Amino acid sequence: MSPLQLSFMGIIALLGVGLYALLASRNLIKIIIALQIMTKSAILALVVAGNATGRINLSQSIALTVIVVDTIVAVLALALVVQIKRQTGHLDAAKLTDLRH
Amino acid sequence: MTLPPFVWLILWLILSAPFVYIIGRIDILTDSRRNLARWLSLLCIAAGWLGLGRTLTAFYEAGNIDLINSATWTLGAITMRFDGLSVLMACLVMTLMTAILFYSGPYVGREEGVEKHYALLLLLTGAIIGLVSAGDLFNLWMWFEAMAITGYPLVVFYTHDRTSLEAGIKYLVQSSAGSVFILLGVALVLLSTGTLDILEVRAAIDTTVIGTPLWITAGVLFIVGFGVKIALVPLHTWLPDAHAQAPSSISAILSAVVIEAGLIALLRSLSALAGAAVTWGGLLIGFGLFNIAVGNLMALRQRQVKRLLAFSSIAHVGYMILGLGVALYVGTEAGAQAGFFHLLSHGLMKGLAFLAAGALLYGLQHQLGASDDSDPGSHKGLEIDDLSGAAQRYPIIALVFSLALMSLAGLPPLAGFMSKWQVLMAGAQAQDPTLLIILIAAALFSVISLGYYAPLINRLYRHKPAVAVANGRTIPLSMTIPLLILAAAIVILGVAPMLAGQLTAPAAADLLSFITR
Repeated sequence: MSPLQLSFMGIIALLGVGLYALLASRNLIKIIIALQIMTKSAILALVVAGNATGRINLSQSIALTVIVVDTIVAVLALALVVQIKRQTGHLDAAKLTDLRH
Repeated sequence: MTLPPFVWLILWLILSAPFVYIIGRIDILTDSRRNLARWLSLLCIAAGWLGLGRTLTAFYEAGNIDLINSATWTLGAITMRFDGLSVLMACLVMTLMTAILFYSGPYVGREEGVEKHYALLLLLTGAIIGLVSAGDLFNLWMWFEAMAITGYPLVVFYTHDRTSLEAGIKYLVQSSAGSVFILLGVALVLLSTGTLDILEVRAAIDTTVIGTPLWITAGVLFIVGFGVKIALVPLHTWLPDAHAQAPSSISAILSAVVIEAGLIALLRSLSALAGAAVTWGGLLIGFGLFNIAVGNLMALRQRQVKRLLAFSSIAHVGYMILGLGVALYVGTEAGAQAGFFHLLSHGLMKGLAFLAAGALLYGLQHQLGASDDSDPGSHKGLEIDDLSGAAQRYPIIALVFSLALMSLAGLPPLAGFMSKWQVLMAGAQAQDPTLLIILIAAALFSVISLGYYAPLINRLYRHKPAVAVANGRTIPLSMTIPLLILAAAIVILGVAPMLAGQLTAPAAADLLSFITR
């Protein structure tokens, strides 16, 4: 198996784990962890693609930018989760149903 | 190094935002009553108009609507290009943002976090203009994330309100999951062409790449990723919550500009994957019909005014991508121009509708809050029944609200009628039987939409004023004037649709330049 195929399997596995966790978990913090795992698969894909086409400098700088942006999103999401815990007293996504009508 | 004017414009909007925040914060801490942050942000937008004026002069003088010849700025691997699509969105976002900054003064008033709100609005303007002038795919993603990140705190403006928090976390999770898919698409493009610059990607495609599974997968990933933001139907569930729970001025921006900016980003990224244009066109037409059907049918059963308007946004996105899909599918400029005209007119009329609904909410807020002591943490929404007879207490607001609703329903002689009509006519010219059936369905759904707009207008005019309405608070002039200006724009564009041609024709030519290469 070539390195490219192997890394593709890694990307798909990471994405699959992330998507499964995103859909299956009810805890808001676990949902954010799932988002992080999905983003990591995208970063891996970018680095692999850059490496395969000889543009590794470009893809490394892209990967660094993605990590920064990703951190900002995680910080915002966790701030929201803290506020949700304060206002409702729980972290259960399935119980956040005030808007379901 | 000389920077082109549009880069100055973006830099100015983004760099001025922190100063607005800091000065606004100091203003709040010293407990003055001047509302400095608002005046400062208005000043920044006014300076932004100067920059936009310079940009537009340069654009129309050069006459370069095409992406290839447009004003370009490059720094390392970052490329920015200001072309026909950018002009359309930049004008729309600046117009609406100016109206909203005037309007926000009394509407948001001195709520907690108001200085953040003004700074974020400026950042959002800069991010959207950056998004529509991004010249390479990764840059596009970065501006897209910047737009999303500034959007989250704006949706959760009422941080102590449980429903806002719920809407905010839903929006955040769905939108960031979508952006992962966009990144994967970017990685696939990089893998198959070795570059990310949109023009180089287009040039790098030889005919063997088109239609390969890798290529199609990249396009589908873009459609899914950006589709979350523009609320393509199975991915739309966050939209009614976020748009209904945000303050009305923010709902107006989200509905009238942010989803449109997402649509432009989708078109840009698909335009890099030219060659498979017929596939993308067909997909967009299909999603368009879904959106029209689901948006209209769901709006029929809403009791809350802002949720109703949010579902109608989903339907209108459907009309836009129907027009643009037709343009890609058959390659006619008329379809693209109609799609962009609908984008423009939807921006104006949906902005107006949300702002007018917000003005009524502002007038009636105290009365409505009094009956709802059980849950003080919740900002009560405006129900249709609350508006009984509002036309007698607020004749001007009721008039502009009805104008916006009639335009959304597509009644002549308003802008919404002209743009829907052009979308349908552009499709009919293609002489394709399947397409014709889809267009007839779209037209019928437009008639159904009267089923939820008409009762609203009926409530406003033909009912006795409720006690809450009769005792409502006066709506200040700085909220009424932006509404009147937007209403005038809707009527003028409806009577003289060729005026929009200055903006829509370059955008349409730009979009089509990549199919007919």
